[in-house]
Amino acid sequence: MLRHLFRLIWNRKRTNVLLIGEVLLSFIVLFGVGVILVTVGRNYLLPQGFRHDQVWRLNIAAGQGEKMPRPVLDDVLRQVRALPGVQELTLTSPNTPFRFISMNGEYGANNIYLDGVDRYDADDHYLATMGLQLREGRWFRSSDDASTRRPTVISQNMREKVFGANAPVLGKILRPKPHPGREDDKEEYQVVGVVESARMHSEFSDYSPSMWMRLEPHDTTQWEGAAVLVRVAPGQGPELQQKIVRTVAGVTRKWSTEVYTLEADRIDKMKVTVAPLAALSVVGLFLIVNVALGLFGVLWYNISQRRAEIGLRRAMGATGAGIGWQFLGEMLVLTTMGVTLGLLIAVQFPLLGAFDVAAQAYLLSMLLASVIIFVLAAVCAWQPSRLAARIHPAVALREE
Amino acid sequence: METTLTTAQAKPVQTSLKNTPMIKLTDIEKVYQTDTIETVALNRVNLTINKGEFVSIMGPSGCGKSTLLSLMGLLDEPTHGVIEIDGRALTSYSDKELAKVRNHKIGFIFQSFHLINDLSVLDNVELPLLYRAGLSGKERRQRAVTALEKVGLSARTKHFPSQLSGGQRQRVAIARALAGGPEIILADEPTGNLDSVMGEEIMDLLLGLHREQGTTIVMVTHDESMAHKTERLIRFFDGSQVS
Repeated sequence: MLRHLFRLIWNRKRTNVLLIGEVLLSFIVLFGVGVILVTVGRNYLLPQGFRHDQVWRLNIAAGQGEKMPRPVLDDVLRQVRALPGVQELTLTSPNTPFRFISMNGEYGANNIYLDGVDRYDADDHYLATMGLQLREGRWFRSSDDASTRRPTVISQNMREKVFGANAPVLGKILRPKPHPGREDDKEEYQVVGVVESARMHSEFSDYSPSMWMRLEPHDTTQWEGAAVLVRVAPGQGPELQQKIVRTVAGVTRKWSTEVYTLEADRIDKMKVTVAPLAALSVVGLFLIVNVALGLFGVLWYNISQRRAEIGLRRAMGATGAGIGWQFLGEMLVLTTMGVTLGLLIAVQFPLLGAFDVAAQAYLLSMLLASVIIFVLAAVCAWQPSRLAARIHPAVALREE
Repeated sequence: METTLTTAQAKPVQTSLKNTPMIKLTDIEKVYQTDTIETVALNRVNLTINKGEFVSIMGPSGCGKSTLLSLMGLLDEPTHGVIEIDGRALTSYSDKELAKVRNHKIGFIFQSFHLINDLSVLDNVELPLLYRAGLSGKERRQRAVTALEKVGLSARTKHFPSQLSGGQRQRVAIARALAGGPEIILADEPTGNLDSVMGEEIMDLLLGLHREQGTTIVMVTHDESMAHKTERLIRFFDGSQVS
């Protein structure tokens, strides 16, 4: 019977090509949406690599025309650290976790340079404040003041990409990718430690290679603002925030301070990330509904056009249920053809390593898209097939 | 023309079976009912068609001939009465059992051929065998080829219905009816859509089948001359048998 169905479908290829095309297009779109959602979902389930809970972000601004002398900044940090409820704090660059600010460049060693390496300035307290997990070596310390090269700590994924998983890394030198004529090409960073990869951009982003460069004591006179991350004890809230603001103002009234929680930053970033995903999902859902209606309509029309054939098959010995299964089978064979073509296209992406997406995400999306299309086809074919099964053979034969 | 069967008047070869009922209709009534109208298509019909008999049924349009054929072919259920095929009353048969009886015992020939245009001649003839369990693809093909040989179309197996004349299409339909080796052939105006020459050709084919294989044939027709070639002529009027 299956062979008969294939022959029938092949002989009706002109009629069926549109249906196969519809299935193919739906598969491709579902596959695309699937890859994005699977990648994002997979990322969400990965360990974050740091602890954002109980961490606040202070934006300290020197005010218009004002500067930040280092002694004053150090005094501010010391006084805030001394507040009850503050466990640790760190001075860092403005690209704190979950913010819409990123600082990156091309860094590497031994002619292996990675594009889009996230770089963070961090003082000696960053590790403890952010709860990064040290894997090798150490974090920055005051003895690094004597270092001739700027100390850096890199993420595990950067280590693996530049130095490999097992080769020694401590003491190695990282450089920016050379660009003839550029002054900063001469910078050198000495690796002192490796931390677990962290996802600093958002809960839905993948691990990106990262470098933390030691924020060395230097003149901050040119600074107009400073980003400070503060780890507070559990249960701390607005009261401590007020105290922090007052403490900074107590050191110098010219500076202003805003206090945010990383949790609030996380939610802001999540909203911005989830909104396009939700829109994409709605588009995908809309497409699925359209495809469902299309398949339903085509099959309904098909059955109304083939009533005489249904009557004939019943006369030849087909049961009502057999007719229903035949139409369901035809739809599933057509779906298989469309999905097979779609899979042939989709499998090129993991084979070519396109878009730097994990092969598992592609494979899972292929599976999901196939399952959705087959379920959709079966559901849409079910009612028309039942209708076909109920067609009275004597009436159908008389109609032609 | 490749017809292998020759023109002949129906002359039964198995006279000993002549008195054994193949189709027996007892007190058959068929009423079509809508919300407002009740139409009696068949009214208390009692009819027996014996094994190996070639019977024609005539009557004006709407007198119930096709309904009667649908009932005999188990494509419809009577409102009242009993249908027996080969000695078995089929009143309590399930859809599956009725389909099996149709497949094994009955071959259908229709006025408008009812060939599937997207299937080749061979595939069309194979159709009833697809619903028969236990047949291999090779066996099905062989039986279909044999049936096509009987109607003189063995050279047209790969053609499609649209590539054939009306007479050839009806011969394909006859081959399809024969492929399953049925004991009964029910023909609903088999020459109705053909010109007189092709009509004669088809009639000769049916007569030859009947004569050589002893197949029981029930033919509905409007053509008096065709009807007179059969062994028995039954006339219907207004849902009842009148002769």
